[in-house]
Amino acid sequence: MAWASTVTSVLPRPEPAAEWRGVSVAYPHQRRPVLDAVDLALGRGERLLLLGPSGCGKSTLLATLTGLVPISVEASVEGDIMIDAVDVTTRGAADWASHVAFLFQDAEQTLCGMTVADEIGFALENRAAPEGEIRRAIDAAMSALDLPPGWRGRWTATLSGGERQLVAIAAAQAQAAPMLVADEPSANLAPEAAQRLRRVIRRHRGSVLLVDHRLDRLVDLVDRIVLLDRDGRLAAKGAPRDFFRTHASSLEANGVWRPLAARLDEELARNGVALAKPPLTLDELLRQLPDIPASRRATAHDILNRFAKAQTAPPQDNSGDVLVELQNAACAPLFGPVVLPDASVSVRAGELVAILGRNGAGKSTLAMTLAGLLRPRRGRRIGDPAGVSFQNPENQFTGGSVADELAQATASCPGAAPSCEELLAHWGLQGLERRHPFELSHGQKRRLALATLTAGDRWPWLVLDEPTAGLDFANTETLVGHIRALAAHGAAIVIVTHDVDFAFRVCHRAIVVDSGSIAFDGPMPALARDTDLLRRAGLEEPSIGPLLSWLELEPQC
Amino acid sequence: MLSAFHPLPKLVVCLVWLAASIAMFDAGFQLAVIATVALLLIVAERRSPLLVIGLMIPFALFGFGFFTTSVLFRQDSDFALQMARETPLHGEAVSAGTVLFLRAIACGMVSAAFVLTTDPAGLLKALMANWRLPPRVAFALFSVMQLLPDLAREAQQVRLARAMKRGRLPRRLVGPVEMWSLVIPLLAFAIRRAGRAAIAMEAKGLRPSGRRTIVGAPQWRSGDAVRAGGALALLASLIALTL
Repeated sequence: MAWASTVTSVLPRPEPAAEWRGVSVAYPHQRRPVLDAVDLALGRGERLLLLGPSGCGKSTLLATLTGLVPISVEASVEGDIMIDAVDVTTRGAADWASHVAFLFQDAEQTLCGMTVADEIGFALENRAAPEGEIRRAIDAAMSALDLPPGWRGRWTATLSGGERQLVAIAAAQAQAAPMLVADEPSANLAPEAAQRLRRVIRRHRGSVLLVDHRLDRLVDLVDRIVLLDRDGRLAAKGAPRDFFRTHASSLEANGVWRPLAARLDEELARNGVALAKPPLTLDELLRQLPDIPASRRATAHDILNRFAKAQTAPPQDNSGDVLVELQNAACAPLFGPVVLPDASVSVRAGELVAILGRNGAGKSTLAMTLAGLLRPRRGRRIGDPAGVSFQNPENQFTGGSVADELAQATASCPGAAPSCEELLAHWGLQGLERRHPFELSHGQKRRLALATLTAGDRWPWLVLDEPTAGLDFANTETLVGHIRALAAHGAAIVIVTHDVDFAFRVCHRAIVVDSGSIAFDGPMPALARDTDLLRRAGLEEPSIGPLLSWLELEPQC
Repeated sequence: MLSAFHPLPKLVVCLVWLAASIAMFDAGFQLAVIATVALLLIVAERRSPLLVIGLMIPFALFGFGFFTTSVLFRQDSDFALQMARETPLHGEAVSAGTVLFLRAIACGMVSAAFVLTTDPAGLLKALMANWRLPPRVAFALFSVMQLLPDLAREAQQVRLARAMKRGRLPRRLVGPVEMWSLVIPLLAFAIRRAGRAAIAMEAKGLRPSGRRTIVGAPQWRSGDAVRAGGALALLASLIALTL
């Protein structure tokens, strides 16, 4: 029986769990292949992390594993793909569900069942597992993810985005497949859900193939890392400890995220302070500092200080004019109930403010009320409206091309506006002016949205809703540069995000929304130290936290 | 009582009651159906009387169209009376318009009682388990139910984005022009979302054919036959009393 075969298939065998031999993939109407002659093997019980810039074919590689590409998504595939030494084309994609559990990037949008229990048991039902086994698997998965038993009968449509993500992870766990494949699983995950996902990965007894950008809390979980370059070719592979040191230049050239510890290790090495063992985490790096020769310690301390400063928003003068203010405002989404009954917040010119909190806490509602797009049900809002960059940039595009979109933006500006060419050059969109906005990559869409908002002086301040979701390192760095430049010109920017690292790096001030109220409104460093509040609000300490704590304890060597 | 009733015999019973409401051109019978269903909902299902009255409003508005047609257009009214005379089971027709009005409410209340007391997941599982509804169709319906609230959220986001561009707050009511302009972005969202859901289902092993387990499908109980028999006997009594 298929259900029983999953148990035996995790036993050691000589052949790899999965293998790609010379695999090239080309989508229709695209000039060059998205994957080019990839040779890769996933060992039994191995946890493999696949890195690469946006659009390099990582998701395509995962989808070829069970034949979703080309069966469900049309493409031309060359080469051999094997699972347990069996050619994947010998079965349909659905037939591999007993071997491979998928966790998609937008997990909460791929739910299939009506209730939480239905969703978690769906894959086992398809495998015709006995009903008793399915019920036990549902219980075990819910318990592993700490889902309340009361959720069993709840409709998934009534859950918040973060709660649905947890259900999707539980469903992948209950599938009990020997191979877990996760495509950027933490890209849209709230920190609390990301923590539970890491627990699932750590406990998974089979092979794991991961694609992800957020590495700081993930890298010590994996056995091997593979890099795909911009042309969809295998550019590097190796064990995590040496990988980031050995392939630093390739990673940088491809605009791929690296853990903070690896970047700091490189910075130290560049300045003649070589650590004996490449560190995977900042804690590991800090533990090696006492081994540095005394003559180099001051240099190391200086580098650490500079690095910490670069990862932290610089102190800010809060004397700008108040641009917008909410006074005891009851904030509610359109047609929805009040989520924040008594919010009092103001934003000053030049401020960079992060709004943090769980999924569904009311972050976006607060931001939209501040921006003047939602009317407070009670209380007052005083101030100018804001330009908003929406979570899905497509929502704000109405032009037929990039040039149309920019022309609309400049036409609506009351004062002098830059030309379309100037905007294209400033936001790195040259050559794309004739493309439809929906055809751009996610990073390009994000830049186009910002370009339309900052064309001229229509908006004195901006709201950016989850601006880093789905962006690779290079695109995020570009975004950080633009945000800082806008703030330097006096624009206030409010950023709604669950990416605490990004918020800590860019914003001086944090507002935490939790349990229907503003639980914190103050300087970002004070929030980073308040571990109780971070835990209560479902947030994580910034990855740079251990280094900042160390620097506080060791102000100088 | 109705909630504990297996969805499939309940569906059959409701269809029989609907057929009777359509066949019986009698105001007394329609009133009896409305009263019976309302009493069942209030007493047996412990639903608020206000909810039950509120449920009648849209059906009453619909039925009012028949009533006004019958009063204002005599030719149509004559047609309705003629129809009443030709109906196999008919009593003393007080007024064709009144009967048509009450019939709309009666049919609406029977449907509402079914919807209010039936878990949609239970119904679809029962259809898959007993009446061979293909799982692909059932899970496509599940997906649509998942999609609807997300589609509404997406529509609000698009409206907010456009309101920002226009520089004024979004209107509470969506006008026809705005509604039309939302069609293409929402259609694009729905198609993309449906594609992703289909891929996710396939990745989780949903096949067009083959055996699959259905966990939590409603089980037949001896009480179901009693309930079905009782409901049909009650209907027969109402018909007998009317004729």
